[in-house]
Amino acid sequence: MSGPRRHVIIGTGVAGNQAAHTLRQREPDGSISLLTLSALPFYNRYDLPKVFRGIHDWRGFLVDPPSHYEEQRIELRRCTRVVNVDAQRKVVVLAHNEELPYDTLLVASGGRAYLPEELSEFRDLLDGFSSFEQAMAVQRKLPQGGRVAILGGDMIGLDLARTLLDTGHRVVLFAGKFTFWPHTEPPDQRVKLLDVLERMGVQIVDAEGRGGIASIQAGAAGFATRRVVLGDGTEFPADVVLPSFGLVPSVEFMLGSGVAIERGLLVSPTLRTSDASIMAAGDVCQIWSDEHKRYRFYYGWKNVRSMGELAARNLTGEDEPFVPVQDESLHEHDGTVIHSPFWEYA
Amino acid sequence: MSAVVERQHDEAPVSVQASYSEDPRDVGWVVQNIPCQAACPAGTNVPGYIRAIAEGRHGEGYEINRAANVLPGVLGRICSRPCEPACRHGWPGNGESVGICDLKRSAADLKNAGHRITERLYAPTGKRVAIVGAGPAGVAAAHDLSVLGHDVTVFDREQHFGGMLRYGIPEFRLPRDILDVELRNALRLGVEFRGGHPIGKAPGETRLTELLKTHDAVLLAAGCVAPLPLALKLHGPGAAKMSSETDCPDVEHGLPFLMALHRGEKRSVRGRVAVVGAGYTALDCARVAMRLGAKEATIHIRTTEEYIPVTKVEIFEAKRESVRIKGLRAPVGIVVDEDGRLTGVRFVQNRLGAWRPDGRRQAIAIEGSEFIEPCDTLLIAIGQRTVNDFLDLAVELDQWHNVRIGDDGMTSVRGLFAAGDYVTGPTTVVEAVGRGRQAAQRVDAWLMGKSRRKRVVQITPVQAPLRERAYDFIARQQMRTAPLQERIAKGRDAQPCEVELGLDGEQTAQEARRCYLCNLKYQIDIDRCIYCRACIEVAPRNCILLVEGVEVRSDGSYGRLQEARDWNRVGAIWIDNNECIRCGACYRACPVDCITITRNEFVEVDTP
Repeated sequence: MSGPRRHVIIGTGVAGNQAAHTLRQREPDGSISLLTLSALPFYNRYDLPKVFRGIHDWRGFLVDPPSHYEEQRIELRRCTRVVNVDAQRKVVVLAHNEELPYDTLLVASGGRAYLPEELSEFRDLLDGFSSFEQAMAVQRKLPQGGRVAILGGDMIGLDLARTLLDTGHRVVLFAGKFTFWPHTEPPDQRVKLLDVLERMGVQIVDAEGRGGIASIQAGAAGFATRRVVLGDGTEFPADVVLPSFGLVPSVEFMLGSGVAIERGLLVSPTLRTSDASIMAAGDVCQIWSDEHKRYRFYYGWKNVRSMGELAARNLTGEDEPFVPVQDESLHEHDGTVIHSPFWEYA
Repeated sequence: MSAVVERQHDEAPVSVQASYSEDPRDVGWVVQNIPCQAACPAGTNVPGYIRAIAEGRHGEGYEINRAANVLPGVLGRICSRPCEPACRHGWPGNGESVGICDLKRSAADLKNAGHRITERLYAPTGKRVAIVGAGPAGVAAAHDLSVLGHDVTVFDREQHFGGMLRYGIPEFRLPRDILDVELRNALRLGVEFRGGHPIGKAPGETRLTELLKTHDAVLLAAGCVAPLPLALKLHGPGAAKMSSETDCPDVEHGLPFLMALHRGEKRSVRGRVAVVGAGYTALDCARVAMRLGAKEATIHIRTTEEYIPVTKVEIFEAKRESVRIKGLRAPVGIVVDEDGRLTGVRFVQNRLGAWRPDGRRQAIAIEGSEFIEPCDTLLIAIGQRTVNDFLDLAVELDQWHNVRIGDDGMTSVRGLFAAGDYVTGPTTVVEAVGRGRQAAQRVDAWLMGKSRRKRVVQITPVQAPLRERAYDFIARQQMRTAPLQERIAKGRDAQPCEVELGLDGEQTAQEARRCYLCNLKYQIDIDRCIYCRACIEVAPRNCILLVEGVEVRSDGSYGRLQEARDWNRVGAIWIDNNECIRCGACYRACPVDCITITRNEFVEVDTP
């Protein structure tokens, strides 16, 4: 091999950031470029509910200070959109037409909030909560004591619900098959968990049993700004409507690369894609499970961090399989507390 | 050759001085530089009709379309759009492809109500041609043959013409009033249609040999209407009472299911519907199932969503209607209860393999990975094949049991031609239309003893750039769609609701401006050029080069440009029309007016 290798990592979430750090440790001379669409360096997305606890300065969310990347000789490129990966030429194509060559590419672009296609026409009336900017927008929009409609109710959304209740807001959960995503609970356990949420103060609406969510409407002047309309015709007012239907892998820019994709990038247990120079880690990849005989996702920040580290190790000479490190079970305690590994970040 | 071309449509009363060329370099240029037209199986002049639309001449846009395919309003709705992945606007760095198909529909939707159809009729020949099959290939061939002066009769097993268009495609994608008008327009030149008139060997059916005796030529365009079988193992307590999966009342093939519905027969689905297959028929089955009251509909595919041969728009709309797609699985069996009712489908997990020669991805089953997906109805839509049991004479077949034809379109039987899916196996509507037209030319050439039409390049001077750079930044227009609650018809007698509603006038104008008009050829007259480099400076792409020479390939297309690295070796200043986005910046910047623009496009002319 001639000269230091060029490592490009797409995504600065838990997996991408961890991979960059491990790569730097294991390959001091390599060039590392970390690409992110975000305007901010790596911050903890699970901490975003803190905007309701008075933390409004973006610096309060950063995991590492901005200088850290310079010290580590990691080229951090923010506000950078990848539009294509040309695996044959080994270049990453950016939206502004720049081509970035690589020797190895790690795709750790994570997942974005899934909005079921049937609700896509109401996109303009919905808010997101998956970036600092979106979180601040919701915080500004929501009056003190205001009502938040959470559609679906994945574990990220329910975590936010806990904070909203703590800070004096009202939460209406429109429950359906995405409630408790990514956990899949048997019906009797699901009833118990919903009971716990109700005791916590969440208003539960069985949306699925009432014809599903038919539409989101703008509220009339002088009333709440939004209305959630169910299939049976009932309407619920809300100040903010948050879809919370889990994540879909962010793979659009990989579609022309030739790398095997189903919902996420398909990888071997060692996180290798169908292209020898490209690996994937985190919420963007589906890992082959010999045990389950299928490709599957592994969620949770500990798993994702472990994937980031493993990908970096395997990019630098190892050949180790991924072993999940995070419990995936969800359970309630004494009918009052829900324990989920997805809430155990801090 | 030079001539004054009078345009035929009252929307555009212009005359321009045009010349015609059969020079391989001009032919090669058009093929190479207009990728949308090259990708269209019917050879539609895409930049031509989009320019007409941009100028508000929707009727002319419609007629330009109609010159290549007789069903613009139909294909504007259901075309598989092979042109759009080829569109230069979608090339890396250029943004999204133009909504070519949406504009085709706009031309049909927005033309005047009293629009005048144009046909260039030939004198009657007295020749009689029979066409077996009234699907897209048969209709396209019937139209062209009748224009060419032949007496055409179309025979079809079904009562009404349209074939797969009428019986295979649901009304929410293709409203029947649109289909009827365009089919009537295609067949109004004296084509006789004999519906409910099967050609075959059974008593009461007309034999093919009889047709050959009573007609000067016969064209087989019988399509692919038999579903491909799928060998599924039977599991569960009721399996012993069955010999195959079709003995189960909850298992049906997708195409017969759709065809029966569209004939007006009653069909129902039960509970959770599983569809296996990855094409339009599978998608249509799932969407129809939702409209028939399925609790859920899931399409199971062998590879992944990325590789299924349907448009992303269709996938998105199906998902909006709550259809789900699950990938990397192949059906291997069904599970039935003691009453013989379906309770699940047994799948094996797949992984993606290498690329197949046809450009699709292989799926490889993983040993020991079988699993059961619970469901109550199974629709099998894995493809179609041709049926030849109606032939009462020996016709040579190929290895896939399709009829073999020669370069002249004729089968091994003299006077018997074949076209469309009946020859190629299942393709798309636009391919069938293209093949039908091609067959008509071949039948006519055989009947008349010569080709009466030929393709040449029409070269028309253009006085100024027709585009502005700002057009390149217009976002692709999104088509309006019907609200979800209106899509699913309420009650059995409710009218089906078309899902896609078309672009409105302003959206159409905006989308039409996005087209680069790749039929415009920019050239620099190097004898007049002063090599000031002004054009190079203003070019938004690396599209104007100082070159030592230019390779011209044997097919007339331009090959490698030898860029000059030294002033002393500059042979010419050259506009790379492959890179050029026809923005006109160079034309406007040139101080000595040495850049010329011509519109180069294929037209059909009579042979001497």
